[in-house]
Amino acid sequence: MARHGISITAAHHPPAACSAAPRAVAAAVAALLATAPLMAQVDLGTEEQRAAGKVVYDKYCGQCHGDDGDGNGYATLRVKPKPRDFTTGKYKFRTTPNGMLPTDDDLRRAIEVGLPYTSMPGWPNLTSAEIDNVIYYIKSFSPDFENPDRYGEPIDIPPPLESTEESISRGRVVYEEQGCASCHGEVGRGDGPSAPTLVNDKGDPIKIADLTQRWTYRGGPTKEDIYRTFSTGLNGTPMPSYADSLEVEDRQHLVNYVYSLGDGDDPGYGTLITAVHAEEPIDLQNGDALDALFADAPMTRFPLVGQISEPGRNFYPSVTSIEAQAVYNRDEIAFRVRWNDLRADTTGRNGPSMDVPMWDEDNGIGGDAEDGAEDAADSGDFFGDFGGEEAPAAAEDDFFGGGDTGDDFFGGGDDGDDFFGGGDAGSGGAEFSDAVALQFPISLAEAGSPLKPYFLFGDSQNPVDLWFVNLTYGVADTFRGRGSDQVVPTEADIVEAVTSYDQGEWTVTYKRRRSSRAGISFAEQQYTPIAFSVWDGFNRERGNKRALSSWFYVYTEPSVQQAATLPVLRAAFLVLAIELLVVFLVRRRARQRAAGSDTAADAVAAAGAPAV
Amino acid sequence: MDGFNLPLLLALAAVAGALVWRRANTLTWLLFSWGALWAFFKFGFTVPIPQSVATIYLGITTLALVCFASSSRERLEEVTSPIVRLIREPRYRLPLAALLVALPALAAYNVHADMNVPLEAPGFGREVHPAPPTEITVHGETLDMATADNPYIHLHEDDPAAYEEHLENGRRVYYENCFWCHGDGMGGDGMFAHGLNPAPSNFNDGGTLPILQASFVHWRIALGAPGLPAGGTPWDSAMPAWEKFLTTEEMWDVNLFIYDFNGFEPRALGQH
Ligand code: HEC
Ligand code: HEC
Ligand code: HEC
Repeated sequence: MARHGISITAAHHPPAACSAAPRAVAAAVAALLATAPLMAQVDLGTEEQRAAGKVVYDKYCGQCHGDDGDGNGYATLRVKPKPRDFTTGKYKFRTTPNGMLPTDDDLRRAIEVGLPYTSMPGWPNLTSAEIDNVIYYIKSFSPDFENPDRYGEPIDIPPPLESTEESISRGRVVYEEQGCASCHGEVGRGDGPSAPTLVNDKGDPIKIADLTQRWTYRGGPTKEDIYRTFSTGLNGTPMPSYADSLEVEDRQHLVNYVYSLGDGDDPGYGTLITAVHAEEPIDLQNGDALDALFADAPMTRFPLVGQISEPGRNFYPSVTSIEAQAVYNRDEIAFRVRWNDLRADTTGRNGPSMDVPMWDEDNGIGGDAEDGAEDAADSGDFFGDFGGEEAPAAAEDDFFGGGDTGDDFFGGGDDGDDFFGGGDAGSGGAEFSDAVALQFPISLAEAGSPLKPYFLFGDSQNPVDLWFVNLTYGVADTFRGRGSDQVVPTEADIVEAVTSYDQGEWTVTYKRRRSSRAGISFAEQQYTPIAFSVWDGFNRERGNKRALSSWFYVYTEPSVQQAATLPVLRAAFLVLAIELLVVFLVRRRARQRAAGSDTAADAVAAAGAPAV
Repeated sequence: MDGFNLPLLLALAAVAGALVWRRANTLTWLLFSWGALWAFFKFGFTVPIPQSVATIYLGITTLALVCFASSSRERLEEVTSPIVRLIREPRYRLPLAALLVALPALAAYNVHADMNVPLEAPGFGREVHPAPPTEITVHGETLDMATADNPYIHLHEDDPAAYEEHLENGRRVYYENCFWCHGDGMGGDGMFAHGLNPAPSNFNDGGTLPILQASFVHWRIALGAPGLPAGGTPWDSAMPAWEKFLTTEEMWDVNLFIYDFNGFEPRALGQH
């Protein structure tokens, strides 16, 4: 086994026997123990192990991480974050100090458990030996793993402190002082002022972590994981290490604060919204009354994924879930949806039928010049600022427009904080606005039939209605969809909406009359299919390039709820009455028989009857 | 014993054994039989039977047991005399009182639980492998499903190098298009799978690719969910119609690749 052990240990720590004081012995042993893992660290495996690892790698990993480990595989163009480039020796999720190599266990964790909400979910089917071998092989891509100086010792992770009110508020202070909020936002929704500008050390834009959705943490959702993440930092990303700037205890308080921002370890995805009945009128303009109305309505979280079934595919949607609730009264029904978005994009355009050029699917790269020019010509934006001749050149060397500002990765001219948004140089906003839509069938299938419109904006026989809100305007427009390329405005129903953006969270509340002649009506005790779409303008989402959900349901709860008390009492008393009757009859018979006037069989018959 | 809750069946058998051993009386046997059948209908199946069906079975069971108990005078006597003793004899006063309280409480609990069943979205069955049409048209070319086969499969023998190229192209196609749903390792667990219903097919599973002909898989790849008959609930499935994105050759190549990756072979032509 080729171990490049470090042989300095003995020189630093004289043999225990030389030391007289028992304390010194203990110290020496402790030091020896502490260095022991260091010796084992440079472990590159045997030739056979690496060869076996290559077989695993070539089958399961090369498609993304590149057959040469350089992060350039087939999938690379279409995923964000990009697959790790193993030749750099930079790893995000480590127990070792900033800038150091990960331990084998760190790598094992990334491979086994995976990195949730990235294109690399775990590899539970690989055997332990296969994982060992593929780790040896991965390490062979970077010479760093041969260099003992690049190894650091795993940090100590103390057990978490009890999550008291004081601890959390101290953590909050640390969070502010250390500037976490400038990136992660005031309440952790990933909406800090710097969030839209962040890039990794390869210049790729990087999506900041939403600290309120712990299930999306790639480094793991536990308090220990959080402690480790900000203590060691994420190499190659703007997420720094706070090992030097924070005392252990403050870090523990910070952990408690970050943890308290979360909505739980589990997203708790549901499949049903229960629309609750209210007597009050639904007044969209009266915010407090509206909040009070929705306060009692259960909230359900639904998963969103990229639309990748129809052209205009969205391989890396920004928004991965949406919460929804509903309230209705005699005449009207209101829906409220909420999702987190790192920035409110309220200056651009958007619409469910906007065209997305084919090349835009591939991370905006690789669109040939013609496509770009065509797009500029027919949509009048994107490359529009640069006139017809310049557009092709811009498309070739600068994938998001921009043109001549060489140091400005994503173009956008002088609009430095907008790394995706070409075209709107100087306007200070994105080219595309944020938007959301609810989708309903226009009528219900017969009872018991599973028939629904195609979930991707309907089909020619079974249209859908979209309640679309472009957050630039904040009003609802209705569209009728008969397929992804057949979405047209409709005036069938009047839908109203109000919108707000607060600390990284969009809230959109819709209202419509319950009954409709042209579209769906919401009768009591009805299950109505519903689906969602969300567009993040910052991520250049528009038209079919969106995050969407499958079909789910809204159930309109009966307005008159039968209270459980009465039926429960009735059942109990009925049973009690029967019991008492039986006891009474049996005892009477027995008394009569004792008086010698009856036969046993009669008593038996009386006792048996009520039991049937 | 697939489909049954084995631990429950074993537990019931054990109780029955104990009753035989203790020579339980007829009443105990009746109560046990009723309870055992109730537990069996409710928890005995890995895929629960609908509540309404379970209620019907239980009704029939109850009727049968009553008939049995009253089938002769002696048996009726045997069944009822312990009850009569319980009610009459002073030494059973405490158990009797407990029973008088427990039964109404149980009934009340049952009614309460029934009224608080959590709401569930309606669920519908779906045919996973519906019968394909007899012929399909892909990129303007009509294929007879009974005779069509992967045009590159023969290269496996005839020209292994060319075969490898087709496989590699299939690998490219898969990792540029499919893994978001079907998974990095084809386990049906891609990063978007949790948001889709029906879930993307798991190609590691021996019940999927090996039982399908290459032409069936080609049909599914080329025409996707919109190509399914109503029984396959095409409106719910996210499976794209790859004809919109891929050439015919690319679709046959990815077809080769998903079989090869999992070490499966398509079901032979003419086999049904
Ligand atoms: C479908 C694409 C894909 C495949 C296949 C894939 N990965 Fe990854 N992998 C990624 C992406 C994307 C990242 C980076 C995620 C991030 O930056 O948060 C990553 C990151 C990693 C990391 C780095 C974790 C860290 O701490 O920085 C390791 C190690 C890794 N992958 C190993 C593997 C191994 C081993 C295989 C094969 C068994 C494999 N990957 C297959 C996409 C893939
Ligand atoms: C300069 C901006 C910046 C600052 C300041 C910052 N972070 Fe981060 N943080 C990031 C980015 C970017 C990521 C995501 C990195 C990635 O995509 O790999 C991240 C990720 C995280 C994660 C989750 C990683 C995972 O498991 O997915 C946690 C937890 C976190 N940061 C906590 C903190 C805390 C606590 C602070 C303050 C002490 C802080 N961050 C300060 C930019 C920052
Ligand atoms: C957007 C998600 C998505 C993508 C991308 C996707 N599929 Fe599917 N696929 C599904 C779903 C969901 C099913 C199961 C439902 C159905 O049968 O339609 C499925 C079913 C299939 C089936 C049918 C399997 C069977 O047992 O009948 C095949 C074959 C298939 N996919 C191949 C592919 C190939 C090859 C690709 C890439 C070129 C691909 N899929 C890309 C979602 C997807």
